[in-house]
Amino acid sequence: MIAGRLLRLVVVLLVVTFLSYALLSLLPGDTVTQILGPGASEEARAQLRSELGLDDPLLVRYGVWLGDLVTGDFGTSFVSRLPVAEELAARLPVTIELLVAAQLVALGLAVPMGITAARNAGRWIDQTLTTLSFALLSTPVFVSGVLLILVFAVKWQLLPATGWTPISLDLGWNITSVVLPALTLAFAQVAVYARLLRTDLIATLQEDYITLARARGLSPRRILWRHALRPSAITLITAIGLNLGALIGGAVIVETLFGLPGIGRLIVDSIFSRDYLTVQGGVVLISAGYVLINFAVDLVYAAVDPRIRRA
Amino acid sequence: MIKRLTILLTAALTLVACSGPRPVATTPGAAATSTGGPAKGGKIVYGLSADANGFNPVTDQFAAQSYSMVTTIIEPLVSVDANGDWKPNLAESLTPNATYDEWTIKVRQGINFTDGLTLTGEIVKSNLEAQQKSPLTSATLQPLEGIELVDPMTVKVKLKQPWVVFPYYLAAQIGMMVPPSTLNNPLGGSRTPVGTGPYIFKEYVPDSRFVVTRNPHYWRDGLPYLDEIEFRILPDTQTRAQSLEAGSLDAIGTTRDEDLAKFGAAKDAYTIHRTQGMAVSEAMFMLNTEVAPMNDVRVRQAMAAAMDRKAIITTLRGGLTKEADSPWTKDSKWYAPGGAPHTYDLAKATSLVKEYEAEKGELKVEVLSTPDPNTMQTVELAQDMWRKAGIDVTIKQADQADLINRALTGNFTATIWTAFSSPDPDGEYIWLHQAYAKPIGAISLNFSRVKDDELSKALDVGRMNPDESARKQAYATVQKRLRDLVPYIFIDHLDTGAIITKSKLRGIGEQLLPDGEKGLPLTGSPIPYHPFSQLWVNGQ
Repeated sequence: MIAGRLLRLVVVLLVVTFLSYALLSLLPGDTVTQILGPGASEEARAQLRSELGLDDPLLVRYGVWLGDLVTGDFGTSFVSRLPVAEELAARLPVTIELLVAAQLVALGLAVPMGITAARNAGRWIDQTLTTLSFALLSTPVFVSGVLLILVFAVKWQLLPATGWTPISLDLGWNITSVVLPALTLAFAQVAVYARLLRTDLIATLQEDYITLARARGLSPRRILWRHALRPSAITLITAIGLNLGALIGGAVIVETLFGLPGIGRLIVDSIFSRDYLTVQGGVVLISAGYVLINFAVDLVYAAVDPRIRRA
Repeated sequence: MIKRLTILLTAALTLVACSGPRPVATTPGAAATSTGGPAKGGKIVYGLSADANGFNPVTDQFAAQSYSMVTTIIEPLVSVDANGDWKPNLAESLTPNATYDEWTIKVRQGINFTDGLTLTGEIVKSNLEAQQKSPLTSATLQPLEGIELVDPMTVKVKLKQPWVVFPYYLAAQIGMMVPPSTLNNPLGGSRTPVGTGPYIFKEYVPDSRFVVTRNPHYWRDGLPYLDEIEFRILPDTQTRAQSLEAGSLDAIGTTRDEDLAKFGAAKDAYTIHRTQGMAVSEAMFMLNTEVAPMNDVRVRQAMAAAMDRKAIITTLRGGLTKEADSPWTKDSKWYAPGGAPHTYDLAKATSLVKEYEAEKGELKVEVLSTPDPNTMQTVELAQDMWRKAGIDVTIKQADQADLINRALTGNFTATIWTAFSSPDPDGEYIWLHQAYAKPIGAISLNFSRVKDDELSKALDVGRMNPDESARKQAYATVQKRLRDLVPYIFIDHLDTGAIITKSKLRGIGEQLLPDGEKGLPLTGSPIPYHPFSQLWVNGQ
């Protein structure tokens, strides 16, 4: 099973990296102009283009890049002239922390909301939570981010509007600098997770074994937490894995909005400056991460629901 | 559930409250007096819109935002004073020969780099030679023939032609002096800048912050005032403004008229510093004079006459900017009046379009625009104006990298553009002279590819004639030819480029140069920059 997964990962990486390499090559604009500026002479441009290997055909460039990647060399950024791996390593902790914090916030809000809505299905509280979910879902990240800054930073001055403090420098300030970005990123996920959990939980609560548990006199709380919640969480867990892509997309905006030095912002900056190797490095990292996390999600299924383990 | 959430929220807020001052960047106020005089101490956090590619003036392209960070550490040989004239900075003097094809640069005594090395003529020579070879600046330094060391503190720059304003070029990237360690290890210098400046590099986190601390051995007595500056990179204009409001920042750069209006209304809390004079860039449409239909001057004149600049300024700039009919602002000594064809005249525009269409068929124009909403609004408003004159205009979006590349190679008909903010008109030489206009497909620094003997000769006079009245006459000719030939449709002078500070932050626009002259308050576009050595925080 693991070998099959790894093989699939390699295929995914090959397809994704080739497509991104080809798409970047199709982008209009010129890496050399981005590096040298518009005032450079034609001779200087030609020399730099040759040095960077940009005169070579696409397949040759991709082949060279892939060959280097196999040996663990992600290449050197055209713009910063630093190793891409070094650039990614510096940014990765920020994005991971942001994504993990956003997931925790999303789950921390969505699970109680989903349970409350399911237990009170059809009542006013369910309808209120449903309305709130749709409001969160339909609010773009850049709008919710600006609103959160306005309320928590400008009006109440409780949290910093922007900026980033690494954990290594100060844990307290690190947490304060991640709260608003994580909340912003989590909002849309809250709605999705709460709705999924509510739907599955309502279905589970109508199963025969739940009726039997009630008949045996088990308390509603025990039925909910011990017998209904775990099997109802399968779809939610799947969504957590699949939502990683959406979260990374949102992280690009959130990192720009709040001034966080993460992977998303690095990739966007690199696309604008036509720094292809840095973009490729980011694509490899995100693709591999996406596949591996979904692999981990599959493993979690079995732990959550014994029926899957037995199957 | 609500109870648990309340506990969690309380815990989070307690954590925030107990976190103490934010590490690296704080704004605790200076050890200052409240009597109005500059006082030492204090830290500020300064919001920038973009990061730098690197901090080595020889290898990294500097945008205006890069200059804000770099000039705290690395200084140029020359500065520009409040009148727009060049003045020596690290140089003690710059003296031309009689024919202005040699400049003797004498370096000030007693200036040390923060790595301990003393600035000498030899180091100046090495820097200028490195710039001459650099692919970034070799085109600009094309008139430079060679550099000789005259004595330990003096170099002579030999030029292939007279260049009366050569020192202006030493006020920017080309004239910034770095130690041999940077020249020998460009990548190291790019990440860890070393210079003679008022501050020393402390920390750089790409896309996040750049921190500098006071240089205790700075060569100018009593400077700098601040202990520390943190530059925070915040590309989003709205969050940058909100961060200033929230107290996370002490100053921001902006180009948004709504920021000027909003913070301008709170005069007690904030101070606004706007660009003036030659530092102001111009918004315009740049036309490719080599491709149809723009190779017909009637089309260019028609588009210029159909442009209602007042409507653009009123609708999109909050009425804050001024109409432009020249690369230089009306308060500059280089400005020469003469609005036509930049005067709004729809009847004339319509007539010219009909004349063209009778001869050559339907007039269709594609205009490039970057996708950001503010720029698109300008282009869409202009599109509507041109349609009223009978011109069928389509808009094509291109990101900044694509747009610049198209401009260089001539792969465009018309494009929105911002340019012309050099302190001296000669700074625009390579963009306007026909020697830099190349055929379509080749790299052309003269993007509009305008070729005109009279225009180019006037630019040559401006470059080579030391007599100011002759130079003024030459640049009046340049402006006349630009109005006649219309390679650019000027819209307005973008003096909305501004620095907004908390009122307690003082010193912007008040700096004195080493020899006592008042310095140019703000430079660069679209968001300007300024020196930091004489900034100080007023006591609270």
